[in-house]
Amino acid sequence: MIALWRQYLPQFFQGVGVTLELTALSLLVALLFGFLLALARLSGWRGLVLGATVYTEVIRAIPVLVLLFLAYYSLAQAGIKLSGMTAAVVTLGGFYATLYGEIFRGAILGVDRGQSEAALALGMNRRTVMRKIVLPQAFFTILPPATNQLSNLIKDTSLVFTVGVTDLMFQAYAASSATFQPMDMLLLAGIVYFVFYLVLSKFLTRWELNVQRRRG
Amino acid sequence: MHVASLYASAIASGALKDVGLTIVSSLIALLLGIAGALARLYGGSVIGGLVYWYVELIRGLPAILQLFIIFFGLTQFGIDLSPVAASVLWLVAYGTGYAVEIFRAGIMEVPTGQREAADALGLSSLKILQKIIVPQAWVGMLPNLTSFLVLQLKNTTLLYLVGYADIMYQARLGADATEQPGILYLMAALAYLVIALVIAVAGLRMERRAALYR
Repeated sequence: MIALWRQYLPQFFQGVGVTLELTALSLLVALLFGFLLALARLSGWRGLVLGATVYTEVIRAIPVLVLLFLAYYSLAQAGIKLSGMTAAVVTLGGFYATLYGEIFRGAILGVDRGQSEAALALGMNRRTVMRKIVLPQAFFTILPPATNQLSNLIKDTSLVFTVGVTDLMFQAYAASSATFQPMDMLLLAGIVYFVFYLVLSKFLTRWELNVQRRRG
Repeated sequence: MHVASLYASAIASGALKDVGLTIVSSLIALLLGIAGALARLYGGSVIGGLVYWYVELIRGLPAILQLFIIFFGLTQFGIDLSPVAASVLWLVAYGTGYAVEIFRAGIMEVPTGQREAADALGLSSLKILQKIIVPQAWVGMLPNLTSFLVLQLKNTTLLYLVGYADIMYQARLGADATEQPGILYLMAALAYLVIALVIAVAGLRMERRAALYR
C-alpha cells in the first residue's frame, strides 16, 4: 500500500493543486456575488429584493451536481461552451453565493440598528455607514460560518471530476481503476480531504469563535 | 418539447426511486441517529468518543468519496455490493452521522433545569427522556429534520455514479440518446425542485402544528 501511495503521490499532488485552485476561484466568485446578493436583498428595492430572493431559494434547492450538468452540458447545447473548470467555478461560485449571501445578510442585520441610526444622525451617507460602521462589526460574526462553508465547498469540489476536471477525486478514481486497489487510493484521497476539514472546521473555526468571545 | 414528453415518464420513475430511497434510508438513519446521540451524550468517554469521530469522518469526507469507498473500495476485500445495496448503505451511513448531530443538539437545547426538576420529582432517567426531554426537543429539531430530508434527497443525485437508476441516471441516458442535454437536465432540476418544495411545505406545516403545543 505504501509503495503504491509513493508511486501515485505526484498525481495526487497535482490533483490537490487543482482542487485548491478550484476552491480559491469558486470562493472568490461566491464571496463577491454573495455580497451583492445580500446587498440586493437588503436594498429595499422591490425588484432587486425579489430577484435576489428567488435566485437564492431556487438555486439552493437544486443539487449541485444538477447545476454543474446544467452549466456544462445544457449551456453547451445553447451555444455557450464552457470548459470543465469554468463550468465548475460558475456552478460552485453561483451555488455558494446563495449560502454566503445568507451569512452576510444575517450578520449585517445582526448589527444593532442604533449603530447605523447614530451614524446617519451624525451625517454620514449610507455607503459610509455600511463601510465604516456596519461591515466592520459584522465581520467577526461572519467568520465562523463562512469558514464552515469553505470546508463544505472543498468537499463539493469533488463533484467536478464528473465533467473531467482533474482534481484530487479524479486522480483517486483514475488510480483506483489503474491499480485495482480502489480502497488504498480512495483512502489516500480521504486523508487529504479530512485534513483540510479538520484544519478549517475544527481549529480555524474554534480559534475564530475564541477571538469573537474575547472581543465580547 | 417532443423530447420532454418522451422522457417525462423515465424522469418520473427516477424521481420515485429517489424519493423511496430517501424515505427508507432517512428513517433508518434517524433511528440510528437517536441511538448515536444518546450514546454520545450518556455513553461514557469511549463510546461517546467513537460516535464523535464517526460523525467527524462523515462530515469531513466528500460525499462521493464515501460512496466510492463503499461501492468500489470494498471490492478490494471481495465485498461486491449491488448499486441499490451500496446506495442504501451509504445514505444510511451518511444520514446517521448528520442525524446524531441533530438529535444531540436538540437534546442539549432543553434547559438543564427541566431535567433537574424531573430528577428531583423522582422520575427515572428513561421517563425523563421520554416525557420531558423528547417532547420539548422535538419542536426545536423540526427545521433541522426538514433540511436533513432535503440533504438526503440531494445526495441521491450521486447514486447514478454507481448505477442506481435515479433522476440523474435517466436524465443522463436521455441526454446521451437525444443529444439534448439542455431540456433533460432542466427537467431533472425541476423534479428536484418540486420534491424539495414538497418537503419544505410539509416541514413548515409540521412546525406550525408542533408550535401549538408550546
